[in-house]
Amino acid sequence: MKSLSTSQRHYKVLFITILVLFALVYLAPLYVMLTTSFKGIEEIRSGNILALPETLNVSAWTKAWSSACTGGDCYGLAPYFWNSIRIVLPAVFISTVIGALNGYVLSQWRFKGSNFLFGALLFGCFIPFQVILLPMAMLLAWLGLANTVPGLVLVHVIYGVAFTTLFFRNYYVGIPTELVRAARLDGAGFFAIFRHVFLPLSTPIIVVSVIWQFTQIWNDFLFGVVYSGPGTQPITVALNNLVNTTMGGKEYNVDMAAAVIAALPTLVVYLVAGKYFVRGLTAGAVKG
Amino acid sequence: MGSIQIQQLTKFFGDTQVLKGIDLDIKDGEFLILVGPSGCGKSTLMNSIAGLEDVSSGDILIDGVNVTDLSPKERDIAMVFQSYALYPTMSVSRNISFGLEMRKVPKAEIEKTVADVSQLLQIEHLLDRKPSALSGGQRQRVAMGRALARNPRVFLFDEPLSNLDAKLRVEMRTEIKKLHKRLGTTIVYVTHDQVEAMTLADRIAVMKDGQVQQFGTPYEIYNNPANRFVADFMGSPPMNFIECVVLDDKLVIESQGEKFELQVAHGEIVRQAGLETVILGIRPEMMTEPKPHVMGALVHSIPMQIDVIEPMGPDTIAFGQWNGVEVQARLSPEAGVEAQTKGSICLQVDTSKAVLFDTFSGVRLDA
Amino acid sequence: MFDYLEKQLPKLIMAPTAIAMLVCMYGFIGWTAVLSFTKSRMLPQWDFVGWQQYERLFANPRWHVALDNLLVFTLLFIIIALLLGLMLAILLDRNIRNDGALRTIYLYPMAVSFIVTGTAWKWILNPGLGIEKMVRDLGFTDFEFRWLVDPDMAIYTIVIAAVWQSSGFVMAMFLAGLRGVDDSLIKAAQIDGASTFRTYWHVILPVMRPVFFGAVVILSHIAIKSFDLVQSLTGGGPGYSSDLPATFMYTHAFSRAQMGLGAASAMVMLAGVMAIIVPYLYSELRGKKS
Repeated sequence: MKSLSTSQRHYKVLFITILVLFALVYLAPLYVMLTTSFKGIEEIRSGNILALPETLNVSAWTKAWSSACTGGDCYGLAPYFWNSIRIVLPAVFISTVIGALNGYVLSQWRFKGSNFLFGALLFGCFIPFQVILLPMAMLLAWLGLANTVPGLVLVHVIYGVAFTTLFFRNYYVGIPTELVRAARLDGAGFFAIFRHVFLPLSTPIIVVSVIWQFTQIWNDFLFGVVYSGPGTQPITVALNNLVNTTMGGKEYNVDMAAAVIAALPTLVVYLVAGKYFVRGLTAGAVKG
Repeated sequence: MGSIQIQQLTKFFGDTQVLKGIDLDIKDGEFLILVGPSGCGKSTLMNSIAGLEDVSSGDILIDGVNVTDLSPKERDIAMVFQSYALYPTMSVSRNISFGLEMRKVPKAEIEKTVADVSQLLQIEHLLDRKPSALSGGQRQRVAMGRALARNPRVFLFDEPLSNLDAKLRVEMRTEIKKLHKRLGTTIVYVTHDQVEAMTLADRIAVMKDGQVQQFGTPYEIYNNPANRFVADFMGSPPMNFIECVVLDDKLVIESQGEKFELQVAHGEIVRQAGLETVILGIRPEMMTEPKPHVMGALVHSIPMQIDVIEPMGPDTIAFGQWNGVEVQARLSPEAGVEAQTKGSICLQVDTSKAVLFDTFSGVRLDA
Repeated sequence: MFDYLEKQLPKLIMAPTAIAMLVCMYGFIGWTAVLSFTKSRMLPQWDFVGWQQYERLFANPRWHVALDNLLVFTLLFIIIALLLGLMLAILLDRNIRNDGALRTIYLYPMAVSFIVTGTAWKWILNPGLGIEKMVRDLGFTDFEFRWLVDPDMAIYTIVIAAVWQSSGFVMAMFLAGLRGVDDSLIKAAQIDGASTFRTYWHVILPVMRPVFFGAVVILSHIAIKSFDLVQSLTGGGPGYSSDLPATFMYTHAFSRAQMGLGAASAMVMLAGVMAIIVPYLYSELRGKKS
């Protein structure tokens, strides 16, 4: 290795300083949320937004979790957290399974018109959901699923399948078709080939799909606010209600604790499996 | 048992017809090679036999039973793919046993088969590995093992050696031939390599543009080609094609400013046809340095100016020009050295195996 | 018979998706289009009034505010996010080999919902207690920073929060692109005597054009769909000064019982997205074939 010249080294120090400064800026909102959530309301009013809390006061957290008012009732975020779980788990599971099978067909069992189908589906990744909001509300009402958890699951599955199909199709398209041919001659059928040959290969893309769907659905607000009723709201809607409920004085510490609670599951997923998270994000941009 | 009859098989991809009425009768236990340039339809034909592609019309019979509409798994066929197509997540032994597992063969029997096959192919020490941990040659063996384990009626080989390096290819070629001798199972083998075709086949089907140009033993194909395409495709170095003026029942060769008359086996056919010119097809090994013991009316002596000499080891190829076209002669190494220094050679030309083609259509005239 | 079923299996598997897509995407788009030509208010009704809803829409000052805001927001958001993302990616690419921690930090906002982002920035930008107070505490007692409650400036707070959330993603895309650039290309440029700056400007960036277009498409897509962020950060206010088409549509279709008008605004949004996406998808899919 050639050693760097002095000016190069100076530049390097400058660049790294810039990078670290930006990192601090990006971290600042999370820092502010956390510190504020541990402060008392008096401390917030008198103190500095960047100051560390004097004591670790968890009362805001317990209030946000179990007794803060979200619009009409005052049970905290807990019930809505569980609502979100009840929506997310089945929706992620179903949309991933359907996406995997769709991707398997669209890459390995093409038929006349399957490419057209894929193109039409791809377009679905991009439509602004405002354009389907009204008819979907009517369909849900007609099915008797308005304001229900199954209704929200259905909506998330329908509009998530476009993405999961895209993920799996683009992944499976890289697997040579001769594998399917070999397995067919070995006597395996459509599902046996999927189970024995493709599924064991799919771990990375399953992780990508699950993480993508999990973050999308957990973070969804639009469908949540339009299609949920008082008892079935997901946590994003509840958080928004909590923050905008103006009964008594504003409790910023409770707001921040609630925001962190709402953000926690996806943040944890991101920290644990960040590599796959990035892959899902860029898969939307780099189609194959 | 494993005889295959292919009757009037056609296949369209959209508007393009890739198989134009194929008829083949493959005997039980035969080693059949489908050979031809890329795009000639040989792979499509093989996939149709396997049932991996639907045909547009015509029938495929295996052991007299029409299997045209049967799925691949009901045809009792095994295939070795060019890319090997090993299941990447399965161990070698599971790759071999997967077909049996799918057919619900009892476990003990599967284990015995895997043991037998891996012994036969000398891959016992690889059984626990994944395909990604194998070399090209080892993968090739596993792919064959997977096919063998099933003990099918017919083996299909789709250019199985084209991904191996030259030396390994020759080795495996011999091994496949031994294997066939030992098992006696029908093999249909696709290749674009005419050497592979010549060395392995009981019979060869030469294909071009979705049609079988000739179907016969390697000897027939080499010595008695049906048309100019087959003659050109089979043989290395290739057959010489020389356009010659017809003089009564003889052909005229012009070399170094002089004219020589060439007598051919079927001269009267040429005379009767009343053609002005024909294409003489003669293989390089019939154009050699003078060999005193070879004599007869069909042996001529014609000089040639040497353009290039290519020593091959066992023999030497000399390039020159007759009738304004490039011709190749096959000399002994010693004659090659001499010809190189002299710049020319007096060739002994034996037309006993020469063939004649129509100048324009390439159709064989003397068959 | 069984064989026939097995052959049709791929189509059978795709059928539910195909039907759902046909009904819930294209059918619903058609349905919304039809609604936009009716007088529907609380409930759908089928009195056709032609282009009347669109005329009302474009006569509505609130809609024009929303469109203007969308233009300002989209342009600023895309330009800033692109520049920031590109800068971070270039600095990361050449200077730090082990960039895992920094990359994680730049990208984490993308994992958080817009509602959380809005809530956090609403607090940070709080006129009384947020940045304004912080700077005043430093001694600049006249410092004012009240964009959140200023009708002229509220839309810029949305830009700030959106850039914070999405620029890390742009960084990730560019970084992946930069790392994918053929090393020999850079070496060739350096042998030709190009400076680092010139190498980037003339050699590397042109290669990244597809990444650049991909990022623009995704960012503009995020911008047009932006709804959650506005709802949680400004609620479209003060007044309706920070409305975007997405919030306009929601308000009119669901809170104000103006279904026909809402449908018309949704159709205009769709047209906007299509104008960007269709050429992009077309070139992407066509480019792949050749």
